[in-house]
Amino acid sequence: MEPIESILAAGSKIADEVEVYFVKGESLSASLRKREISEAAISRSTGMAIRTIRDGKIGVSSTNDPERWQECLSAAIASGELATPQEWGGLPGPVDLDPTPLACDPEITMDPALLERFCEELLEGASRYPVEVTSGSAHVSRQFSTVANSSGVWYGSPKTSVGVSLDCISGQSTGYEFDSSYRLDIDPIGVGEEAARLAHTSGGGDDIRSGRYDVVLSQIALSQFLGAVFVPALSGRNVHAGRSRLAESMGEVVIDSSLSLYDDPFDGRGLFSTRWDAEGSPARRLDFIKKGVLCAFAYDLKTAYRYGKSGTGSAVRSGSGGGPAIGVHNLELDGKESGIMDEPALYVHDVVGAHTANPLSGDFSVELSNAYLVEGGEIMRPVRKAMMSGNIFTMLQETGGVGSKKRVTGRMILPKIRLLRQNIIGV
Amino acid sequence: MDGIRYYDIRHVAGEVTHIDIDNSVIESAGTSFFDQAVVRVLGPRGWGIMTVDNYQRPRGDRFSDMINSVLGVASITGEEVEVADARRGVLDVPAMRKDPRDVSIEEKTSILAGIEKSARLEGISSSRANYSERHDTVTFEDSSGNEYSYSICRCGFGIMAVASRDGVVQMGYERLHSIRGLPIRHKQDIGAAAARRAIELLDAKAAKGGIMNAILDQELAGVFAHEAVGHASEGDLVKEGNSVLSGKIGEKIGNNILTIVDDPTLPEFGFEPVDAEGSAVGRTEIIRRGRVCAYLHSRETLAALGHGAAGNARAMPGEPPLVRMSNTYIENGDSSLEEMLETCRDGILLKGSRGGQVDPGRGVFQFNAEYGYLVEGGEIAGMVRDVSLSGEILSTLHSIELCGNDLLMHQGYCGKGGQSVPVSDGSPHLLLRSAVVGGSGTD
Repeated sequence: MEPIESILAAGSKIADEVEVYFVKGESLSASLRKREISEAAISRSTGMAIRTIRDGKIGVSSTNDPERWQECLSAAIASGELATPQEWGGLPGPVDLDPTPLACDPEITMDPALLERFCEELLEGASRYPVEVTSGSAHVSRQFSTVANSSGVWYGSPKTSVGVSLDCISGQSTGYEFDSSYRLDIDPIGVGEEAARLAHTSGGGDDIRSGRYDVVLSQIALSQFLGAVFVPALSGRNVHAGRSRLAESMGEVVIDSSLSLYDDPFDGRGLFSTRWDAEGSPARRLDFIKKGVLCAFAYDLKTAYRYGKSGTGSAVRSGSGGGPAIGVHNLELDGKESGIMDEPALYVHDVVGAHTANPLSGDFSVELSNAYLVEGGEIMRPVRKAMMSGNIFTMLQETGGVGSKKRVTGRMILPKIRLLRQNIIGV
Repeated sequence: MDGIRYYDIRHVAGEVTHIDIDNSVIESAGTSFFDQAVVRVLGPRGWGIMTVDNYQRPRGDRFSDMINSVLGVASITGEEVEVADARRGVLDVPAMRKDPRDVSIEEKTSILAGIEKSARLEGISSSRANYSERHDTVTFEDSSGNEYSYSICRCGFGIMAVASRDGVVQMGYERLHSIRGLPIRHKQDIGAAAARRAIELLDAKAAKGGIMNAILDQELAGVFAHEAVGHASEGDLVKEGNSVLSGKIGEKIGNNILTIVDDPTLPEFGFEPVDAEGSAVGRTEIIRRGRVCAYLHSRETLAALGHGAAGNARAMPGEPPLVRMSNTYIENGDSSLEEMLETCRDGILLKGSRGGQVDPGRGVFQFNAEYGYLVEGGEIAGMVRDVSLSGEILSTLHSIELCGNDLLMHQGYCGKGGQSVPVSDGSPHLLLRSAVVGGSGTD
């Protein structure tokens, strides 16, 4: 029994406003060890977070036991009593939004046979190259999340997810590939083949000399850099707290003028597409950077009210454990499509250690994974080992165009990108 | 219950308190609570696993119904999983010097605010302090009659200070976590230390990358032990064939001065009184005097590989156990820091850690220091920022030339398979010959 109505009624008596985020879901997963499924897991979970506002004091608590909602409500109120009061303009009221879910496939069921088939297909794809499979996974899940508040918002939406991944090795050369979607359009055979191809073709690599190289980043490598530094720098909270290098750059050219960066919560490919954000504000397209010019930062209501800004529908949650935070739904990058592989370059499929970048300055140095020299428009020779050092903000200031095909990686939908004259440490 | 070779149930209930103070604003200070159990059943071939919210042990036939339903989940498994016998036993959880439950959240918030305030030195543009306190009560039973229950509290804080001047922005970060009770009293100096580091870094140059001699401080050398050796010794990765330490038992892979240990019995942040599948915990020498001696194991990986003992299965609440490190460290050698600087002559001293990552199959690691100093003619010279170390595990182990006598442990969290568990890493200072150092400096 979901206690949402009871919480809203009881909470309204002791606080100015109350919000409930309630998630109920189930998932089924299978783990491959080498070429056999070693474990299968089922999970049914419930979670809820309560937020209360009283005299500008915001309190939050969460639990996975709906029967303890009264305790959770009291804990939220108690938490608010300690919080510093702030300007608060109210939780959002209801808006007539299309209730059709954007990231749900009703055909997805918790069917073990589906996972068995995915695993078989991963292995079939991998068998096209002479490599060893080390591990892999397949999962399906579905959940229903509700955000409701004392101002009359009550939005509920189902969401599904399906995904596979595979790790392969050939000697000391590794390859990893994955695919995920909210519908049954993933390609496990292709994932298996790509993981095996990466492991197979990265073996026997040459050392390269240290120096400046044009670098083509895959969508995966680009998402690692953007996620580690760029996305936090676009958060209004970090901007106003003195933790964003972009804070003073509104209206200025901050990256290559051919590039535009935006959040599109309605993209039909996105895993996190939604019509409302995690605190019930209508989601909308948010243009962070248009043609290189910084145009917007992301705000949730708390940060927007505090600093006299408007909310941008950018509240997200990672599960039900606490209050909403500022994030992106589907971060997309557009640029000038060009033959990014036409001229010689170093192609980088993935990087090791992007999360160790300096989140404030953007300075980084990472180890390259599955890197190849590109010559004559073709990926030619694997590189055994190399590091790339630089600055994530400045590396995007002058680029050599983007590829034509975008790929969904988590909360991002990105093309490949060609970077100019990057610092590579080889031998 | 036909077809069931083994089952276990690990139930964790508890509460978590978080306090977040950002630029003197108390953003949140509250408590959440959880209750989750994981039921594992070993069927004729592999594992069936079920996560249950708000677990109450079913009575009578309903218990066997639950176990049988998890067995059904295992029906798609194909691997013939075996589990080895393991020593049983539960250690006492070390007593807390100051139980955080005896201190009100108001007082904790006030103490944390003092630490945050101490970081607001002149030149600091942003400061943020976090406190976390977690109480877990763990109950376990398995089909062989092994049962245990214990409670443990882990708490700690982190303080970040950001300094900015003329468009240059740098940060300093300090943290302290403990299983020995409330660690936030009288720690204002830690906030100020983070702030001073951030301010100093404004004048530091970007490090110039290249191959050079490198001295690692205790914290970074501890991360090296964890990332470069610890992960590669995890039995599940070795079993999959995804580790450069596969097949290396008995092989000499490093200098005689190098001994690397994982020990969950130490009263450090990675302490476990018993592992997550009921095995007694114990000290494992992964590398002894440069030679690979053992892997870290669950009962399953021990059965598959041998060489070591079970006792390193760990799990977050509501997640199945994985082979994990606990307290991982390089044992003391006999060199002083002065001797290392003299032997290094020209190179770099790397200090602190901003985290790291490893590809254990390829045997490549990368991690970032918080800051460093150039070493010139055996003397510590100018400060550098954004400096990293990467390399190949096996060749880097051979390049450890001197090992200090000043072992220190640092606390943190380690992520693997979507789970994050508390760990500590430690080491004395180390001198590496011809290390691959990364940095964005150009001159």
